[in-house]
Amino acid sequence: MLLRPNPSSGVPIYLQLMEQVKHAIETGALRPGEQLPGIRPLAEELVINPNTVAKAYRELEHEGVIELRHGAGAFVSGNARAQKLTDKFRAGQTIVAAAVERLRARRVTEEEIRRLFEAELAGLSKRGANDG
Amino acid sequence: MLWYKSWLETRWRFVIGLGLLMLSAASTVVVYPQVVKLLPMASNVDLSGEIGRRVAESVELSRDYRGYVWSQWFRQNMTQLWTLFAVLLGTGGLLAQSAGGGALFTLSLPVSRNRLLGVRAATGLAELLVLAFIPSLLIAVLSPTVGQTYGAGNTLVHGACMFIGGAVFFSLAFLLSTVFSDVWRPLLIVLCVAIMLALSGHVFPDLARYSLFRVMSAEVYFRGGGLPCLVLTASTAVSVAMLYAATRNIARQDF
Amino acid sequence: MADSFIIETDELRKNYGPVEAVRGLNLQVPAGSICGFLGRNGAGKTTTIKVLLGMARPTSGHVRVFGLAAEAQQASVDIRRRTGFVSDDKDLYGYMTVEEMVRFTAAFFPRWRADLQQRYLRTFELPLDRKVKALSGGMRTKLALLLALCRGAELLILDEPTSGLDPAMNEEVLRALVAHVASEEMTIFFSSHQIAEVDQIADRVVIIHRGRTVVTGALEDLRENFRRIQLVFDGEAPEPALRAPGIERVWRQGRVLTILSSAGAERILDEARPLNPVSVDVVPVTLKEIFLETVLTED
Repeated sequence: MLLRPNPSSGVPIYLQLMEQVKHAIETGALRPGEQLPGIRPLAEELVINPNTVAKAYRELEHEGVIELRHGAGAFVSGNARAQKLTDKFRAGQTIVAAAVERLRARRVTEEEIRRLFEAELAGLSKRGANDG
Repeated sequence: MLWYKSWLETRWRFVIGLGLLMLSAASTVVVYPQVVKLLPMASNVDLSGEIGRRVAESVELSRDYRGYVWSQWFRQNMTQLWTLFAVLLGTGGLLAQSAGGGALFTLSLPVSRNRLLGVRAATGLAELLVLAFIPSLLIAVLSPTVGQTYGAGNTLVHGACMFIGGAVFFSLAFLLSTVFSDVWRPLLIVLCVAIMLALSGHVFPDLARYSLFRVMSAEVYFRGGGLPCLVLTASTAVSVAMLYAATRNIARQDF
Repeated sequence: MADSFIIETDELRKNYGPVEAVRGLNLQVPAGSICGFLGRNGAGKTTTIKVLLGMARPTSGHVRVFGLAAEAQQASVDIRRRTGFVSDDKDLYGYMTVEEMVRFTAAFFPRWRADLQQRYLRTFELPLDRKVKALSGGMRTKLALLLALCRGAELLILDEPTSGLDPAMNEEVLRALVAHVASEEMTIFFSSHQIAEVDQIADRVVIIHRGRTVVTGALEDLRENFRRIQLVFDGEAPEPALRAPGIERVWRQGRVLTILSSAGAERILDEARPLNPVSVDVVPVTLKEIFLETVLTED
């Protein structure tokens, strides 16, 4: 279900994994309360560093998307949180879709759009670094 | 398992050496009757010059079986063949294997370099010990077939002297193998040294008394004296010193 | 355990006669990490590895593995008892068969893993009765890896472990390495020319150039901190005297000024904005670009 992250894409692998998990929840491939693959088996299957998987899971837990139960594994958060995520995701999707639409109308190419977002995020992430 | 590895590496040198020495020993015994027949004709040969003197000496010694065995086998055939294999068995090792023999793999094992060297030296010496005794014992065993006897006790003394004296050549080859990374240079150098030692006995007759080959063939013992203990001890000390120097070389070596 | 370094070098220097192979190398590899060791040919990777394992002695500086001094004879034997190694030439004993090599190596390691031995003999498809000299280069690599992986070691030091392997077997090997780190207390320190595989499985990176460390740190940090800043100007790009830290390279091409920064892109931007660029682009940098840019600079 989870695809191999692209190590050369410039996006950190753990972020790619987080996105994939969130996408799986959004599309219903992972349901609230369902267990995620263990860190070690997932690292072996995707052939990536287990620390990277661990970090992705930690960040997802921090965002409330999943719960790490000591000794039992990682589980998708119960209904309310997953639903909130889905809503947040959908809302974000709408905003981004509108922005991309307007940029396309000004004949900005896809690559340029991507770089505009990157530049903006690079500036933002430094200012908002305290959020952790 | 280091012993097994050492054995696999020296196996063919040892087996071929043993085969050649046994063949040479057997043929020494087997041709004796022919030699006896030819002895009377020796007086017809021109015996002048150094070579002539040596031939005359051999002829004299061969009148007696024990003398024949000593001059043909111990002093000549065995000394030459055994020395060759002493040198051959001394070569090899880590430095030679650093270009395509798994030296880095060996060095990654949890074994000290001293131990690696020690096992290689001990294996070579053990094989040389066998080469020093078994072929000569064959002579004792085969002598009755030509109507002679040769005491096993003799072969033991000769074997010991050959081994202890000749270990110097092994040790020298071993030491040079920790200096040169190819197998040829140690081999050629030691063989040259051996040849020069052999020739110097003739060029400087006064020094002949101290010749290493005299020790190896146990000439003093043969001629009725006791064991040349002093010289044996000295050559053991030289061998030990050279082997020690080899371990120092390898300890310092960067691979 | 997380605070201790499995491998640590301090101003390591190694000269081979007049040649300075390693010129003041500082290296720290934390326990439990997979650390990729990148560098051009001749940069000093293999020499460093040899010093770690006691195959060569440092000219000066300190080297510690498991906290033990690597240049001390007895300590080095102890280090090697806990370390698995694959050399870049993958040379083994040509006259032994695969089975003999396995039995030979197992004899030195009381913690030899017979279960892993069976598994890798199978997945690497190694014929037991074939002599090592009759093995292809790829099979020799796989055998060398098996001999390193089954030692029950806490540290693996691998010099180009996947060179010569086809892509499928390459992936098998990486999978085996990842599985080891996940299930055992293990640290992996491997040198490689394949930046993609370092990207994939490493969580730390050390880049060595001309005998010195030029980049070191957690891979995630590098990806987050390295940025390429591209400034386009109306006229000819200026030669700025930028004082912000973290500038690795600056180069000008006509109206474009490009800056490679290893940290603090924000501060560099602050310094650069007064120059009135027409456009500002901040883009993440891949490991390959980091490598190429840091090793192509002249000393």
